[in-house]
Amino acid sequence: MKPKVAFFDFAGCEGDQLQIANLEEDILALLGQVEVVSFREVMKEHSDNYDIAFVEGSCTRLQDEDRLKQIRKNAKLVVAIGSCATIGGINSLKNYKDLDDVRKTVYGEQARLFDTYAARPIDAVIPVDAYVHGCPMTKEEFLQVVKSLLLGKKPDIPNYPVCVECKKNENICAFERGQYCVGTVTRAGCNSCCVNEGTICWGCRGLVDNPNENSHKEVLIKYGQTVDDAIAKFRLYFGWQEAKR
Amino acid sequence: MKIISKEDFNNFVNSLISDDSWQVIGVKSKRDKFTFAPLESASELRLDYDVTLLPPKKYFFPQRETLFTYDLSGGFSAKGLTAEAKKTVIIGVHPYDIVALLHMDEIFRETKSDPYYFEKRNASIIIGVSMQKMSKWCFAPFMGCATVEHGYDLMLTDLGNRYAINVGSEKGEELLDMYAKNVTNALARDIQMVGQKKREIMNLSQQKFEFSSPEIIPGMLEKSYGESAFWEKHSETCLACGSCVLVCPTCYCFDVKDNPDLTLESGERIRTWDGCLLEDFAKIASGENFRPTRPTRYRHRYFKKGKYLFDRFGFISCVGCGRCGSNCLPNIANPVDLFNDMYRETRSIGKEVATAAAPYVQIKTGADIDYVPKLGTIVKKAVMTGMETLFEIKLDDGTELGHKPGQFVEVSVFGVGEAPISISSPPTKKGTFEICVRKVGSLTTKLQSLKEGDKVGVRGPFGNGFDANFLKGKDLLFIAGGLGIAPLRSLFNYVLDNRKDYGKVTLLYGCKEPRELLFSEEMIALASRDDVNFKPTVNWCPENEVWTGNIGVITTLIPQVDFDPDKTYAIVVGPPIMYKFVLNDLKGRKLPDDHIIVSLERRMKCGVGKCGHCQINQIYVCKDGPVFNYSKIKGIPEAL
Repeated sequence: MKPKVAFFDFAGCEGDQLQIANLEEDILALLGQVEVVSFREVMKEHSDNYDIAFVEGSCTRLQDEDRLKQIRKNAKLVVAIGSCATIGGINSLKNYKDLDDVRKTVYGEQARLFDTYAARPIDAVIPVDAYVHGCPMTKEEFLQVVKSLLLGKKPDIPNYPVCVECKKNENICAFERGQYCVGTVTRAGCNSCCVNEGTICWGCRGLVDNPNENSHKEVLIKYGQTVDDAIAKFRLYFGWQEAKR
Repeated sequence: MKIISKEDFNNFVNSLISDDSWQVIGVKSKRDKFTFAPLESASELRLDYDVTLLPPKKYFFPQRETLFTYDLSGGFSAKGLTAEAKKTVIIGVHPYDIVALLHMDEIFRETKSDPYYFEKRNASIIIGVSMQKMSKWCFAPFMGCATVEHGYDLMLTDLGNRYAINVGSEKGEELLDMYAKNVTNALARDIQMVGQKKREIMNLSQQKFEFSSPEIIPGMLEKSYGESAFWEKHSETCLACGSCVLVCPTCYCFDVKDNPDLTLESGERIRTWDGCLLEDFAKIASGENFRPTRPTRYRHRYFKKGKYLFDRFGFISCVGCGRCGSNCLPNIANPVDLFNDMYRETRSIGKEVATAAAPYVQIKTGADIDYVPKLGTIVKKAVMTGMETLFEIKLDDGTELGHKPGQFVEVSVFGVGEAPISISSPPTKKGTFEICVRKVGSLTTKLQSLKEGDKVGVRGPFGNGFDANFLKGKDLLFIAGGLGIAPLRSLFNYVLDNRKDYGKVTLLYGCKEPRELLFSEEMIALASRDDVNFKPTVNWCPENEVWTGNIGVITTLIPQVDFDPDKTYAIVVGPPIMYKFVLNDLKGRKLPDDHIIVSLERRMKCGVGKCGHCQINQIYVCKDGPVFNYSKIKGIPEAL
């Protein structure tokens, strides 16, 4: 029997589920392996009987925790998809601000009607079995993780920085182009896609297990950034991880 | 020496490009850098480059390469190397990169030859070019790699409006004959000019060494191994990003993994570049990391280039291209800085620095490596504990595995991958062999879910194994901790099957608690034998379990046995932590070091001494081991 899979979203842009909807011919092959029972972005039906739950988005309110815990209870495997779910993502930018100010900025006079707390990845709330990093995640890695789970193997997610992929792809280092990059401490697996296109790594896949942050800050300063710039460079995606460290 | 005008040279390149039977690669610009890439026209060539981003090794040992494809639907089929490599000309290789390819040739042909590398290497023609510019990081002149006398098919030197061509091979000469026009013989003044250019190159390097010859590097390294403050100082800002090794023209470490397609029934096994600076390089499935810190990994790189490969092949495996230095953001990867500092420190503490003696180099080349596993069938599966299962496997082609005790096999589950597993059965068992598998990683967990009749892939046997003949007539003291009994059993049962050939036989076997005891039925049978002294122990016994034997760690058994240190050989296999204590106690009982035999566990990925993951200092565990005489490895810091 094919495993039943369901998709869920929390605070996020649903860009990761869009990647799945955009799988094109691979979606048919994927549907040969799994049965989708819930996927708000592409179908009306919903069922709570599923084996694998794919969760997008970060948890930004206390009341979302109950829904996450229920998903955990229903599913055999929980997979976090996209940066918001895997590392807290860009939502964690607000964690550096006063949360009341954040509410006022977003909701204005109605602010008192809306709860919020520090944005966090879903593994800050429930145990997670696998991660598909990225903002958005790539189709290729999503499929790789799905195949691994179906075969019963641990997905092969690199624990080395993006520099590895830049070197293999013969990219000219962003620093040598006069730009500043956090690929040196960011988990690879994206095939250095942003740098391949001539831009920089913003760190959407989160930190490697043991990043040498001090050295990275020194490098940024050596290449002409101020200490504040260097710290800010870390904050776009690393908010939750930085606070935890 | 030949001469060709630049115009005729461009015509030569263009006529190669227009012949579809050739893939024509050359140095092209990429922004303000350079790269080897396919040429569309001779006008793209930039033979005045300083250095390329990656060396040309990527054409022989690509970043990602399919080792074989497999298909499980309708039985099993696998295709390894199939299509012949396309004929390739690589134009514009600098001398240091030519030397690096010669190093790679030696590395890839040692012991077992790597057909994936050589099929591409043999189908290629190297057109070198003398350096006209040198990157500011380059120290090739110091390493003796700024000019070369062989290793190329053709070698160009720019003489203004013409190139001088040194012909290095028949292949090169034929290529010129077929595709080049108006090639003339060089005149005396051309030859003179080429000589002059070569001399000029020697002065182009901006990197300055504080000592006169690289010949002292191996000896200097040897003296600095234990200077941990030195290595910590230099590696403090290491990002563990691997840039230094990924751009290196002589680095050859790789990882192997499976890439199934969405049917899950077919797919490919690939190898990809890996690097010893990366954090998980020496980490095994159980989580143990044998080189866990930045300073040890950083040191390993310098030792590999300057000492380990020197000892094995007789060359320092650095050609001075300077790519590592130029790609390191914290600027700690330039070998010139490191070796200069090492030279100063070595001298300041009054140590002599001398030229290293030329090592005894003997490179043997055997058959080609076969990465495609044979198919085997699980004929029996016996769950032994909550973690370990014994599998009996029969090779489908009807052959014997033909192993020695102590060897290992690489076991595949297609789609999941491959892992090294020691053989538990003695060679005296015919028709099938046994492996005892503990659930630790993906592959071993997956194996536990397989049933009798299911198929696995098998490569091997690999490794040296125990020398059962040498041990004949000796008293044997077997000491096994936990899963260490699995490889030990292949020798122990062999000894029992040939019991009259051996002296006294003792087995000390320890595990954490009674329910973790492996091969328990065999152990019970042992207890009633009078020709074997068998002593088991457990670290503790929970209240609800029964245990009548010794309680305590394995070393508590050692005082309970009598042995004659002159006649006895101890064979010790267990988890890394066990060796230190057991070896210490054996030495306390006056057992000579060369009477102790151990078997080590590492990340043996390829099994044939190539991928680099199982390396302990200069040793490849997969082919130099996993069995070692303790006297041979006791001075090797990473070993125990």
